[in-house]
Amino acid sequence: MEVTEVTKFLAETTPFDELDTAQLQELARQMSVYYVRGGEEVNTDSNRLMIVRTGVFSLYSDQQQLLTKLQSGDFYGYQQLLTDLSDQDTLLCDEDGLVYWLSAEGFQQVRYQYKNIDLFFQRLFGRRLHQYKAQSTNRFTLKIIDVAKARKVSISPDATVQQAAAMMTEHRVSSLLVEQQQKLVGIITDRDLRSRVVAEGLAAESKVSEVMTNKPFTIELHAYLFEAVQLMSQHNIHHLPVLRDEQLFGMITATDVIRAQQDHPVYLIGEIHRQHSDDGILQCASQILHLSQSLSSQQVPAHEASHVLTTVTDALTQSWIKLAIQRLGPPPCVFTWLGFGSQARMEQGLNADQDNALLLEKEPEGAIAQYFEQLAKIVCDGLNECGIVYCPGNIMASNPELRLSLKGWSKQFARWIQTPTPEALLKSSIFFDLRPIYGSKSLFNALQQDILARTTDKAVFLYHLSHNALKGTPPLGFFKTFTLERDGKQKKGLDLKKRGLILITDLARIYSLSKGISAINTRQRLMQLAQQKVMDAKDSQNLLDAFDVLAQLRWDKHQHDIAQGHEASNLLDPAVLSGLQRHQLKDVFEVINQAQSQMKYRFCREL
Amino acid sequence: MFGWFKNPPMPINEIVRSYDSTPMPSPKTPVSEVNFLVLDLELTGLDPKKDHIVSAGWVPIRQQEIMLGDSAHYLVKSPVGVGQSAVIHGLHDHQLLKGIELCELVQGLLSQYPGYVLVAHHAQMDLAFLTVAAERCFGRSPKFKAIDTLKIEWQRLHNKGKVLTKDMLRLNSCLARHKLPEAPQHHALADAFACAQLLLSQIRQHSSSMTLGELQSLSR
Repeated sequence: MEVTEVTKFLAETTPFDELDTAQLQELARQMSVYYVRGGEEVNTDSNRLMIVRTGVFSLYSDQQQLLTKLQSGDFYGYQQLLTDLSDQDTLLCDEDGLVYWLSAEGFQQVRYQYKNIDLFFQRLFGRRLHQYKAQSTNRFTLKIIDVAKARKVSISPDATVQQAAAMMTEHRVSSLLVEQQQKLVGIITDRDLRSRVVAEGLAAESKVSEVMTNKPFTIELHAYLFEAVQLMSQHNIHHLPVLRDEQLFGMITATDVIRAQQDHPVYLIGEIHRQHSDDGILQCASQILHLSQSLSSQQVPAHEASHVLTTVTDALTQSWIKLAIQRLGPPPCVFTWLGFGSQARMEQGLNADQDNALLLEKEPEGAIAQYFEQLAKIVCDGLNECGIVYCPGNIMASNPELRLSLKGWSKQFARWIQTPTPEALLKSSIFFDLRPIYGSKSLFNALQQDILARTTDKAVFLYHLSHNALKGTPPLGFFKTFTLERDGKQKKGLDLKKRGLILITDLARIYSLSKGISAINTRQRLMQLAQQKVMDAKDSQNLLDAFDVLAQLRWDKHQHDIAQGHEASNLLDPAVLSGLQRHQLKDVFEVINQAQSQMKYRFCREL
Repeated sequence: MFGWFKNPPMPINEIVRSYDSTPMPSPKTPVSEVNFLVLDLELTGLDPKKDHIVSAGWVPIRQQEIMLGDSAHYLVKSPVGVGQSAVIHGLHDHQLLKGIELCELVQGLLSQYPGYVLVAHHAQMDLAFLTVAAERCFGRSPKFKAIDTLKIEWQRLHNKGKVLTKDMLRLNSCLARHKLPEAPQHHALADAFACAQLLLSQIRQHSSSMTLGELQSLSR
């Protein structure tokens, strides 16, 4: 008579996973289920155990500091049940979810009956005390979700500016979201009231829609905080509406950002955007190495560090473009500066070179061709001076073959897809990962849609792409020994990039192209592949883990090389690894092996 | 377990009368204070006159909480074989022999949950079968009314200007849209539980001061 949905979940949740079916049924009967809406405050003094089934919750201390996030399988309320002392915490729901409440009797019963369960909650309580002490979150890894509260203060565009002002005063905020039929249509700030209403002598009955900022920039709840910094400094704005799955979540302001990260060296990005001269930009670029060292010393995970470094490259590129436009005058047509390869995937390391191009609204002829030739030269030269060196394969906007109109690019991609020559296949690993760095997004979207439409379920192309990708294999010998390779200087090692990271990146790209998935970042691609059931959730998770391990090893290796005064190299001598690490690395390569044979089965059967 | 049936024995006609005389909450009652009983029936077919109830599952909601301890699942002895419908609900004749009598089921529902607002997904069907069952057992049936999560979902999507297809209103499609755990299809209790979660999510899309009357008007 039990609800299997509930018992099944409990059976997979520590510490209840040790109970048998009958015991789980007994436990479930002491529970009730409650649905919590995002933004709702959960009642924390009901003296019951809360088990999170779905959704995300933020726990704040009485000082309004974020203590922790609760997700599926996490608990709350045990501290009060164990000590009889209530906390002054606030538990706020970030994302809609279901919680199970276990009655106090049910909790005590199961605790007395099963020693391990009792021990589990005692330990959890011990760790929680610790949480209050160690509150300094890693500054680099802060995300919008860590800072923005699920608090949405919004007004209708038909309201009057007087009502808007009253609302701001009442909620003590400096800006309001303007919402119509649950859609964001604009924002209005106290500055707008000053400069667009009072200074212009508008009536208090004027509509909000007349003075608001239309279609404001927005940011996703799961974006990194420094991305908000970048948007704000790039466009000189102080308020950013926060979206969750395209739904309005709240607002984040410049003050929120500053409060959250006063000692954040990624202020560098803001600094870069403030530069109006060559020297200024170069001065900023000279700090990149320092930035990477401090990222490393703060033990920022590798994938987040590469994300930061890519954002810096983006900022430098944007600054050079702005400087070029300043010098050359306004561009003769709409354009998009494209980033390829690792920059597009947001996976740049310290030794990245340039991979970029230009997408133009009109055909590159006459004056238009001339303008963009000059622009590309300024930007590519500038980046080179900043330490992001010229591409040895000449995949750069300074190459006239890579300054094309939408039609030109579309033709180019069509050719690569229809006749996959070895050269085209080689290029696919770079060109099929692309992202707009500066300029028109819609121009870029048109190109991306065009490409994805061409690659989706295109068996021949996918066959060749997979075939080509399968030429690289993980460095595991027959008896599961590492196969080492030499570089020019006779040094033996495992090539973490060629024989590891690239193989996973290739896998993720091919599967994504086959199903029209627009994500570019390898981790995001793998996650979406699992979400859309293109790839088994477990396989995707294994590849993600493998990718993280390899990226971390490479990042640590680069840091080590640089600290020793060497050039950053991808060749790792397995002798420097501990036994456990070696074992882990073999697992990683094994995962890649398996994923490759699955890809072979999927795309490389006889056509 | 079936204690209500053994003692005290209530005269048959009393059951319906007593259920009918228990007042339902007024339309002005805040939804948060309303007691709901979410139910699901598995059937041998779609015709309440010819077909039968093979199993029933229900779970009450009090103060917005689904009370798992009071959830129930019954197999019902069928007067005829389940025939082809076994393909859908997976219940076979020999299992149903262990079930309870249909009248026991209806009596349990009426005597345990007077004053509870009934809820079901595509409620019309379940109510029609309940009504026929009560008429057969007691000579007459209460006039059942229910909140229909399918209709609420229909209105919700309709108001958003979505073009609706039949598939979009299936229980599992609704659950997916509300980001709720999927239900294993065609198990009466699992479906009743899933429907209860759906109802809570639907209620939460509206203001916390929503009344029963407002909920009923969404379910039209």
